[in-house]
Amino acid sequence: MQTQDHGGLIAAIATRQDRAAFQALFLHFAPRLKSLMLRMGASPAQAEELAQETMLAVWRKAHLFDPALGGASAWIFSIARNLRVDSARRDQRLGAMQLDPSDAPEAPPGPEHIALERQLNERVRKALAALSQEQLQVIMMSFFEDRAHSEISDHLDLPLGTVKSRLRLAMRRLRHLLDDVT
Amino acid sequence: MSIVHHPSNQTLGDFANGTLDAGRHVVVSAHIEMCTSCQRMVAALDRLGGAHLEQLPGTPLATGALEKALSRLGDLPPATPAAPRLESELPVRLAALAPYALGRWRWIGWGVHTRTASVPEPGGTRVFLLKAAPGTRLPYHTHTSTELTLILQGAFTHAGGRFGVGDLDDADDTVLHQPVVEPGADCICLVALRGQLRLPGWLGQLLQPFVRL
Repeated sequence: MQTQDHGGLIAAIATRQDRAAFQALFLHFAPRLKSLMLRMGASPAQAEELAQETMLAVWRKAHLFDPALGGASAWIFSIARNLRVDSARRDQRLGAMQLDPSDAPEAPPGPEHIALERQLNERVRKALAALSQEQLQVIMMSFFEDRAHSEISDHLDLPLGTVKSRLRLAMRRLRHLLDDVT
Repeated sequence: MSIVHHPSNQTLGDFANGTLDAGRHVVVSAHIEMCTSCQRMVAALDRLGGAHLEQLPGTPLATGALEKALSRLGDLPPATPAAPRLESELPVRLAALAPYALGRWRWIGWGVHTRTASVPEPGGTRVFLLKAAPGTRLPYHTHTSTELTLILQGAFTHAGGRFGVGDLDDADDTVLHQPVVEPGADCICLVALRGQLRLPGWLGQLLQPFVRL
């Protein structure tokens, strides 16, 4: 399953509205997206609907994805995250929500934008590659696996203070690497 | 880029993992629009989020979920371009604020005006614009919870440093500060405030009812 080229499938949707490609992406990502939504605090019914909505957004936004960048899962993750934040907001039924920010102008990106995206992508790839395993792990555990620092401390068998300082150093180093013009 | 104050690691991490409340999400999104460095951080965190998504064990969807999705592909509404917000009173055009209605500027005292943004408030977080005249010395205050302040125009200084355009002041309840607005232009900020400001002293007692908004 990991050998599937998800970026290629998204491109197939963009270029020829390929429903078989959509189906393959759905089977891979939708159950994971449902788990992700549950972890972000959605109810089971919401998680189901948000997994659906995310996949429909992938269909609609496929032309905005640049397969040369790779990172299909990061792209889908960011769509899911934004939909989750919007849905939490809609649930409140407060205030006037006139526009869905995800419906902002969606002209296909121009050459200049594509060049910038590729630069950013290269920067991100290099920076993440330069972080140590320990640094990546503490960021992943803190922010995505949603573990308390005390839990990370137990899991890694490190004092609590070390976990906190490791996270601080890892984030500082990541920003430094990303901003360092090479 | 002259931006030196960014969201705390926790705030940025919560932005990336989708658990920031709506009000704070708006203000952090606005900062990210203005801050190349944070755009890169979020792009990197999204990569890790994508890796996390790949590692997650799936939760089975309801029977017929795929068929349902396939049947919805045909009748998806076309993406409607957002009408650009012609917001002459805002010094920076922000996509993050585009969906929300803004109230009128209201005078709350001592050269300070506020203007609410109609962001729904799941966590009791209020979003508003704050405008303070040059030289204004805002009252000392602490927070019962947290405050995010993004500077859109002008600058202020307090014990935590100088905050200019694009800087985000990510303050929590341990901070007691008295911002002083720099001479020159009005200082206009976008604020997400969770909980109440606590203003000590007689001035605070006087101002508190106004600041409660």
